[in-house]
Amino acid sequence: MEELILKLKEEIIEVLNLEDVKPADIDENAPLFGDGLGLDSIDALELIVLMEKSYGIKLKDPAQGKEIFKSIFVMAKYIAENRTK
Amino acid sequence: MSEIYINSIKQISAQKPLTDEWFDAPVRYSENYVRAIDPDFRQYFAPNVARRFGKILKRALVVSQKALEESDVTNPDAIITGTGLGCIENTELFLDKLVREGEELLNPTQFMQSTHNTISSLIAIEAKCHSYNTTYAHKGISFECALQDALLQLQSGGIKTALVGAHDEMTPAYFTLLQKAGFLGQANQTFAGETAVAMMLTNQKTEKSLCKIENVEKFYGNVETWRAASLQVSDIDYIMLGTNGVAETDRIYYENCQKLFPDIPLLQYKNIFGESYTAPAFGVYAAALCLKNGKIPDFLEQRAKLVPPKRESEEQRQNAVRKILCYNQLENKNHTFVCLTSKNLTPKK
Repeated sequence: MEELILKLKEEIIEVLNLEDVKPADIDENAPLFGDGLGLDSIDALELIVLMEKSYGIKLKDPAQGKEIFKSIFVMAKYIAENRTK
Repeated sequence: MSEIYINSIKQISAQKPLTDEWFDAPVRYSENYVRAIDPDFRQYFAPNVARRFGKILKRALVVSQKALEESDVTNPDAIITGTGLGCIENTELFLDKLVREGEELLNPTQFMQSTHNTISSLIAIEAKCHSYNTTYAHKGISFECALQDALLQLQSGGIKTALVGAHDEMTPAYFTLLQKAGFLGQANQTFAGETAVAMMLTNQKTEKSLCKIENVEKFYGNVETWRAASLQVSDIDYIMLGTNGVAETDRIYYENCQKLFPDIPLLQYKNIFGESYTAPAFGVYAAALCLKNGKIPDFLEQRAKLVPPKRESEEQRQNAVRKILCYNQLENKNHTFVCLTSKNLTPKK
């Protein structure tokens, strides 16, 4: 799980172009949206693309995103349970 | 009709960014492709804000912000942008992924920022400006279209302030294509460059005003049939040309000048700022600065071409810079004329 969390952090930094942010700076339990990383709705779209491209997970119900993208830890847990690649 | 002034101009280009230092000490290049010298963008944006912006957007926002600041305008009545290519870097990234990913799983950010009007709209969002917002994407005359729109609206009294921009980036891939097609990077041609220019136009003359815009005209067709109703050719002190070192292009400029404006000294600017779709904005910028400073730097003069500078002593030269006509042409079909005068010049009755 720790390996997946680190990989996910690296991918999010790259995809969202989080300049000057390092994996260690991100608290895996902090909220991704609002506080914490302060992501927004466009970032949510980028995360949906990332999930499908890297892990083969297609989010059909947008409401799911709200739960899955709660934090890096929740996201990693969902990926570990549902990944197809 | 109101008199219209340029109260500030800011640039990011191959010259030192956000200053007029090039006027006294221009940076010279021997390369055929030069990217703009960027300021430290971290001084202007928080990383979290700027992370989605491509270079063209960062440059456009910074020059716009600085032009607004210098002219003491916080909320312009219009934001009008000219761009030949728009956000070409993001467009390339988006199209590359479109091909690579088989038209699936495309990144929304690059898609959103691949349109031409992203620039003008982002400036409006950052300036919290909800008024007139338009983008002109007309290849090599995009900037003049934007300038003319602003001038007409200001002259008619519909608006009092307009932020006019000219923005283009040149990616390595696009430069390679244009070079192969023979449009850029040819022998003796000025370098391919990038443009980020923002200028504040108002109907109020201030101490900071650089010059007055007398007229902007566009003409399509045989230029010999063009005659500007409001332009007294005999009053023009200099013609600022878009010559770029390509013999065929320059020949068109010189021949048209001989027909339309015989015996008027010629100036250039692409030797300093390079070639791009919106490079004519640098011509207007250079002319405005010449009018403000009351002098023409040697490197802007085309000494060997047709007409030598007619006033050689420094005193004569300073008194002679009262009216400059910027002339740009595209394939000898589209012609644009921007007439600038010294801000203190009183029109003839």
